[in-house]
Amino acid sequence: MLIRQLKQFPRALSHFSTVAEPAQVKLEHFRTNESTVSSQGSQHIGRFYRIPLEERKQLFTHGGLPKSFEKQAKTFGEVCVMVREPAVEIIDYIKSSDLSRPVNRFVLHGDDGCGKSLTLAHVLHYGLQNEFVLVHVPWVPNWFKRPKETANSSTHEGFIDLPFDSAAWLIHFKTQNANLLPKLNLKTTKDYVWSKRETTPAGSTLLELIEHGINRVKFASDAITALLSELKQHSTDGKCKVMVGIDGYNAFFHDKTRILTENKAKVTPDKVTLTKPFLDITNYDWTNGVCILAVDRIALTEERMESSLPRYQLGKEGFEHCDPFIPIKVENYSEEEFENCIAYYLDRRWIQNVTEGFDNELKHLSAKNPYNLMSVCAPL
Amino acid sequence: MSQLTRFLERNLQNPSLRLSAIQIRHLSSQAEEEKSFDDEEFRVLNLRPTQVQRQQRRVYKKDEPQPPRTKVMPVDQDWPNVWPGPRTFHPASVPLPLRQGFTEKNAPPPSKYGNAELMKIPNFLHLTPPAINRQCEALKKFCTPWPKNLETAEKWEKHFPVEIVKSDYCHALPSVRQPEARKVSLKIKLSNLKFDKHSKDKFLRLVGDRYNHENDVLTIQTDRCPTKKQNYDYAQYLLTACYYESFEVEDWEATKSLADMEVYEFEHNKSKISTEAILNWGSSGDKKKVDPGFAKSVETLINEGENEYNLKKYKEESKKLLGLK
Amino acid sequence: MLGPASKLALFRPTICLVSHMSVYPKNYIDPIFKKDQQEALKTSGEHLKIAHIPIKAARNNDTVSVFHDDVISKFTNYIMRKGDKLLARDLLDKSFEQIKRVQLEKYNTAKTEEEKAKIQTNPKEILHQAIENSRPLLQLTPIKRGGVTYQVPVPITINRSNFMAMKWIIEAANEKERTIHFPQKLAWELLDAASNQGRVVKRKQDLHKQCEANRAYAHYRWS
Repeated sequence: MLIRQLKQFPRALSHFSTVAEPAQVKLEHFRTNESTVSSQGSQHIGRFYRIPLEERKQLFTHGGLPKSFEKQAKTFGEVCVMVREPAVEIIDYIKSSDLSRPVNRFVLHGDDGCGKSLTLAHVLHYGLQNEFVLVHVPWVPNWFKRPKETANSSTHEGFIDLPFDSAAWLIHFKTQNANLLPKLNLKTTKDYVWSKRETTPAGSTLLELIEHGINRVKFASDAITALLSELKQHSTDGKCKVMVGIDGYNAFFHDKTRILTENKAKVTPDKVTLTKPFLDITNYDWTNGVCILAVDRIALTEERMESSLPRYQLGKEGFEHCDPFIPIKVENYSEEEFENCIAYYLDRRWIQNVTEGFDNELKHLSAKNPYNLMSVCAPL
Repeated sequence: MSQLTRFLERNLQNPSLRLSAIQIRHLSSQAEEEKSFDDEEFRVLNLRPTQVQRQQRRVYKKDEPQPPRTKVMPVDQDWPNVWPGPRTFHPASVPLPLRQGFTEKNAPPPSKYGNAELMKIPNFLHLTPPAINRQCEALKKFCTPWPKNLETAEKWEKHFPVEIVKSDYCHALPSVRQPEARKVSLKIKLSNLKFDKHSKDKFLRLVGDRYNHENDVLTIQTDRCPTKKQNYDYAQYLLTACYYESFEVEDWEATKSLADMEVYEFEHNKSKISTEAILNWGSSGDKKKVDPGFAKSVETLINEGENEYNLKKYKEESKKLLGLK
Repeated sequence: MLGPASKLALFRPTICLVSHMSVYPKNYIDPIFKKDQQEALKTSGEHLKIAHIPIKAARNNDTVSVFHDDVISKFTNYIMRKGDKLLARDLLDKSFEQIKRVQLEKYNTAKTEEEKAKIQTNPKEILHQAIENSRPLLQLTPIKRGGVTYQVPVPITINRSNFMAMKWIIEAANEKERTIHFPQKLAWELLDAASNQGRVVKRKQDLHKQCEANRAYAHYRWS
């Protein structure tokens, strides 16, 4: 078996590599060395590029890659993302757009397992490399479906706080922007009074605000509200660029959550303090930024899973909030992408039982859906 | 014999034996008859009397049927005279080799003689082209000329947009009334009526399913009144009343909110506000208007429902709007 | 002597004394569903021989899939409980995935090429190896002689030994903590057995040992 593999892919051996090993020798046809996202173009579509370890740690330590992909990355010993049409399209739009205009909203949609989250991850990588302040929510339904803890908001009457989740998000924000925040040195524009003794005066850095939210978990939700409005202000003033990436964005507009009040009544998302700041930052009333919003069937509950198209997923309210946006469809693999993916899996030894016609059979079993392909190949 | 009477006398005293006495009386008469044959040997008991020669029944002779009339018909006869009006089929009058029906497999259909199937069906032998022609000729003197400038169907429709359909019935019933005959239906294309937006909407709500969206035709059928004339007037009245009623605006209509809208209209929705705000971002001068193409695409996306095509259209338009290449 | 039924039976081609349980008459042959086997028949010209013989319908687990393997399919059937093959297949697939993940991680962290070449990452091969390693050669059969039951070592067929190996592996995988899932444990057992270690191999060796100890009774098999 092994010998046959080696014969088929003579170059393969050099790339059964550990993470640290630089890609020096001539690459296989399905890989590209271009890890600078901004220089990836249509010629790279369908090729895999490796996200360097440090950037990966900075971006995705606290979530951002789908769980199954994370597992895969651990097995393969590297994080390789395929350069695909939707990501390249969005990056082209971002590059060509005038940032002094109001923010453009891109709505990623597509069937289950087509790669919406990975497209978002790809664009976030671009944001990281091009010094965007990243406002990234890995998976919104986590807040509404399985919150760690809920509490009544002290500042907003009748609202529900998610203190631990908010603090966790602040940590996520801090790690993602660890390099950028000290460099930009953004200051708060007004006083924030948390309680009698605790205040964050105007002129303190945003990092202090974040630290306060992390240390005083009770105020984490309010800290997020403050942070996001500050960011909007600063970017409108031209002090920084902001990239907003929210996965499962449609959960904000769903009519139910699993959060219960003290009276055991279900809470709607608009009664959660976290909803408002994130809706505000996806509004059109600021500049120097870009929003990439992924809508997903699974973010909602079963009765709302009929279609994966954005108007249905966002609902009336959500559509009006985002309109005008640019819908970006993430589709199943094309023929070339499928072949490259098979070659990559062979290279990573994810597929080992190779007989003639196996790729054809896999194509029909998976219908070229990336997630399906991965799971169909799992026992092979 | 004397013995016999003695026996009788004795027995007649017993009333239960009265019946047998009658039989005996019968026997005694037979005994007298037997006396005459006494001289011959034995009488023959004839159990089955020999058949009397049956009288020859008179044979009923049926008349030979006349040869059918068709045999003597000349080829150039005047057919409308032979068959002047509607009548049940008669084989001897119709000089056609007709066959109709089914008896058994692979056998030809039965001939026209004694064929009930041919008689059951209505025939139109009285409506031959020469007969019709003759009747038309006869009617001609009662006709008026066709009005000028009404030569084509378009012109009829233009000048007489209302179409009335009535039916008359000719039948043999004890009553002269046919319930269907009073029905009147009125048809009109709605494009012939002048409406504004509100009145059109109201009119359509008033007429309900009498309006056919596919061919834009309104059909009012009336059968409430006992006579045709009344129904006709009623249909005319309905059309007029609905038309003028649709122009009435009630006070409460002003309170119609966005949620009550039947269709999505870009003009009245939040999308318009946000789109205009984006277009006029940072400029204090004259306001830019939203491209009607974009508005149209949003409307179709929501009113027609989402599909790949509409979404693609929307994407193109919003790219144009936001100035992305 | 002949009853009316047997008189009728004379007109049948065969007289069935014992009822034949299959829905197919005996002259039906098994289907040949594999593409390569069909090709082989065609090239050898044998297909002409069976051209007019009626063929049974293929069973629903007969497949032409390139990933089909007889051993795997057998093993799935042994895992199956109450006819739930979907679940059985799912469990086996999951344990194959586990095996692959474990082995691939080892493979990727290995430093040199020789080390890498030693690591078997193919779950199919690992299953085959594991079964091969846990196959017993003999088994003990209780035989009663003179009122005493002796455990007599008896050689077994290949089929039987294969069956026992698979059964032992599944039994070993079923003996687990509640918190550990069956596919996980099965993966461990398979990996252990493939490297000639673990409980199943131990069980085989124990059996062999006992057979060795009871070799004195071996003649009871025939006497």
